[in-house]
Amino acid sequence: MSNEPFFQIILPIKDRLFRVAYGIVRDQEEAEDILQDLLLKLWSRKEEWSDIGNLEAYCFRAIKNMALDRLATMTLRKTDSIEREREDLYFVDHQSPHSEMVIKEQRLLIERCLRELPENQQLAFRLREVEGMSYREISETLAISEDLVRISLFRARKKMKELLAGYGS
Amino acid sequence: MVAKNEGHINTLLERYWNCETTLSEEQELRDFFSQSNLPAAWQPYAPLFAYTREEQSVALSEGFDERLKQAMEKEKTGNKEYVTIRIFAPLLRVAASLLLIVGLGISIFFITRQNNNPWFVETYDDPNAAIKDATYALEKLSHALQTTEEASLQTIRVIDDLDIDWSALDSLITDDGELTTDSLAATAQEKNDTMRIGTFISSDKKEKEI
Repeated sequence: MSNEPFFQIILPIKDRLFRVAYGIVRDQEEAEDILQDLLLKLWSRKEEWSDIGNLEAYCFRAIKNMALDRLATMTLRKTDSIEREREDLYFVDHQSPHSEMVIKEQRLLIERCLRELPENQQLAFRLREVEGMSYREISETLAISEDLVRISLFRARKKMKELLAGYGS
Repeated sequence: MVAKNEGHINTLLERYWNCETTLSEEQELRDFFSQSNLPAAWQPYAPLFAYTREEQSVALSEGFDERLKQAMEKEKTGNKEYVTIRIFAPLLRVAASLLLIVGLGISIFFITRQNNNPWFVETYDDPNAAIKDATYALEKLSHALQTTEEASLQTIRVIDDLDIDWSALDSLITDDGELTTDSLAATAQEKNDTMRIGTFISSDKKEKEI
């Protein structure tokens, strides 16, 4: 069995896979750990590659599931992951302009809003906005219909719009 | 420039909320919102596009590829370490079950053999015959014992007939209760077969006590 698919399909998307994991667990080290787990698992199961129709979508699905699993155990293991993000806010340099703090606050607001969204909406938003995936790619990755992708994304964007419009006024 | 694009951006934004924009149009929006002097009307939405732009720049740390390589190599060598065990893994199971069966077989064999002990096995169907044979065996034993007893009594009688001077023999025994070599030599002259008689001393003494 040749290793080609690993180097031609899987490795080139490792950064995107990493960002998906990072989007879920919000922790650089954990996300890298998950990605490494996934790559090692794929590497040790070469013979199964041919059975997988869309290897790329499979990878995204796998990393999504692994990250969600990890997130579930992480919340049990440590509770400071959110606090660490807030730290940025607390220790804003007093000399920095007011607008900078506002931007940080808004960023945090978006993050929190995103986290409160249902899983599918959250992922659809991330895959579209950050990874720049087409609706078809997202539907394959999340194993849901394209229409559902569109609806999920629409709801996520609507929520964002409401949040930002409310904050601005 | 902003004014010229104003209508365009507004339509794009509207289509964006409705999920009707293409990927390139969304990129256009991101680019537009990244400019610093944004008109106030669009200011509220800037953080959203800034956020996605920021998220896009999240990348793997420098050493990731190296760590991955190491992990992959470790996995390879790790496989080698247990290759023999892995090959024999199914055989190990067979061996373990064989061992268990053989062990059970041996223990069962010995346990049943123990029950087959000839002393405990009932070989008679008729209890009368069993009693008869048992009585016969016991009588035979009793007869044998009787014969031996008679033989011993006869021996004692023979010794009595020899008319041995017991007091002389007793004097040979010192206060320590042992025969001295000098006295033995002396008695040897008197009696031809001292040693043989000596062996009778204890039994004779016992008989006297009786």
